[in-house]
Amino acid sequence: MPEPILSLQNATIQFGGLVAVDNVTFDINAGELFGLIGPNGAGKTTCFNLVTGVYKPTGGNILFKGKRINGIPPHKVAKLGIARTFQNIRLFGALSVLDNVVIGGFLRNRTNIFASMAYLPGAIRETERLRDQAMALLEVMDLADEADGRAADLPYGKQRRLEIARAMATQPDLLLLDEPAAGMNPQESEDLMNTVRKLRDDFGKTVLLIEHDMKFVMNLCERIVVLDHGEEIARGVPVEIRNHPEVIKAYLGEAV
Amino acid sequence: MKFWAVRLGSIGLAVLVSFGIGMIAQGSSGTVSRLIALAGLYVTLAVSLNLINGITGQFSIGHAAFYQVGSYTAAFLASILLSRGVISNLGTPIPWVLVAVATSLVTAGIAGLFIGLPSLRLRGDYLAIVTLGFGEILRIIIQNTPQLGGSYGINSPKAFVVPYVWMLTFLCVGVCRNLLQTAHGLSFLSVREDEVASSAMGVNVTRVKVAAFVIGSAFAGAAGALLTFNEGFINVNSFTMDVSFIILTMVVLGGTGSVTGSIVAALTLFILPEVLRDAPAMPLNAVLGTLAGIALLVGTIRLAMDHKGLGRSIWMPKTYMGIGIAVAGGVVVSVLANYLPALTNRTIPSAELRMVIFSAVLVIMMLLRPQGIFGVRELGLKSFFRRANA
Repeated sequence: MPEPILSLQNATIQFGGLVAVDNVTFDINAGELFGLIGPNGAGKTTCFNLVTGVYKPTGGNILFKGKRINGIPPHKVAKLGIARTFQNIRLFGALSVLDNVVIGGFLRNRTNIFASMAYLPGAIRETERLRDQAMALLEVMDLADEADGRAADLPYGKQRRLEIARAMATQPDLLLLDEPAAGMNPQESEDLMNTVRKLRDDFGKTVLLIEHDMKFVMNLCERIVVLDHGEEIARGVPVEIRNHPEVIKAYLGEAV
Repeated sequence: MKFWAVRLGSIGLAVLVSFGIGMIAQGSSGTVSRLIALAGLYVTLAVSLNLINGITGQFSIGHAAFYQVGSYTAAFLASILLSRGVISNLGTPIPWVLVAVATSLVTAGIAGLFIGLPSLRLRGDYLAIVTLGFGEILRIIIQNTPQLGGSYGINSPKAFVVPYVWMLTFLCVGVCRNLLQTAHGLSFLSVREDEVASSAMGVNVTRVKVAAFVIGSAFAGAAGALLTFNEGFINVNSFTMDVSFIILTMVVLGGTGSVTGSIVAALTLFILPEVLRDAPAMPLNAVLGTLAGIALLVGTIRLAMDHKGLGRSIWMPKTYMGIGIAVAGGVVVSVLANYLPALTNRTIPSAELRMVIFSAVLVIMMLLRPQGIFGVRELGLKSFFRRANA
């Protein structure tokens, strides 16, 4: 049994009296497509924020590749190899599509700021390299034609794909996608499903995703954990989740 | 090989142009020479504040404080050198000027570090208050420190620094332009756009903010040192809040984030009040009438621009009619003002009139082009070529 790439061990966070994530425990193996679902306010995005260092857990541990990452600041978490997208799109709106992805690759840059201020050949080459890498990622995400446009001017579905391209530019091992299919039409979400599969199959990324679109999750994810009120209520393969009484209760309420 | 040829060529050209400007300054009267130096200093100040405000998005309104740190560092150094007899009252030799500039660069950079550190936790208006407060505290401390001249000020031996002022300007512009051409500059911009997203992408937001403050204030400090030797005398009144606000206005007017915008706006805002010194005194009613006419005209154009947002051209018959009505309205107001006895006998002296015009230009500018002269764009050879190809 290989070591899991990410494991949450009794991860807990409390905001005052509210326990947003309560003793959540799960392991994700390298190369898995893992789903995290649950009704609104279940604590899914808070889980992402715990993993990426936005919040520090008040209890439990988070291990990435066997290393404890509780409370490590976000930019260091990104460097370790975890990248994320945001539920409410957070692109660098005024910058070009290409520049957004270049910034994603910036954390692997190998020059210092003085070389950039003096515009030394090393800094120019490094910027060129990041630009080429960004362009290649835009090809993968089918955004190459938009490279020079402003990120904020892209249609919604393309903005979501750009977020994934930007996250991919950090060269992560683990990709966290927060509602990647939100606001997409059936065709777009179908295409996205294939793209996410491609990220795993061709690029070897492990994917943890939050999604409300059940068709999307059930078709894509291999394993799923369901949260409600910060607690895990079910886990298993899609077929098990679909018929799980607790899950049905959480989403639809109880029969009167 | 070609790279270094271009690089050395452009540095050589900048030095040559600086000395050219120096020669022009030497050939002209003392007042004009002083203005040429101050124009360069203001460009440096605006471009360096643009790095903090426009590019990194940290709203700092105390830039004069760093200018002051640099200026007083140089003056203090000069006073030590004077007391040791290293330099005489006749003038500061250029090598010592350069030493003072380097020292001021460092001290102002350190001051920037200390202001940059609280900025990690503060955003927007809160940061603005801290930077404003820092400037005022510093000014008042210096005013009450006899060793630094107190409220009287310090004399320093003068030096002819115009070429070095412009070299600093070219250096500051060059550094900002270089940053923006590389991935490092993009990380600065990303902090302005969205801090949460940029830290999630691995950008060390803390380091970027501090770097912006240190680089921006260091340039302001170097400018301050050159001011000391250009003026030969400095006191705290050269570094009041007004100065900070003028620099900030230059950045906003030029288009937040645009380096070329800052340059053009700095030159315009610096030269405009100087040119207007020769404006004749005007009767109050004429001034009021003109202002009213302009207000109507600008209001009309602004309305037309809002309609343009609905997908129409602004040059429709209605616009022409509106402009006509605005001009007529201005004349009517002016004539009416003529008959108001309280107004007819007053004239506005030119010294005050120029400030009226200056403010009116700012208001008109912000109404008609709120994104600044250049918006976020840069003006350069490349943009000319792009237009030619399009």
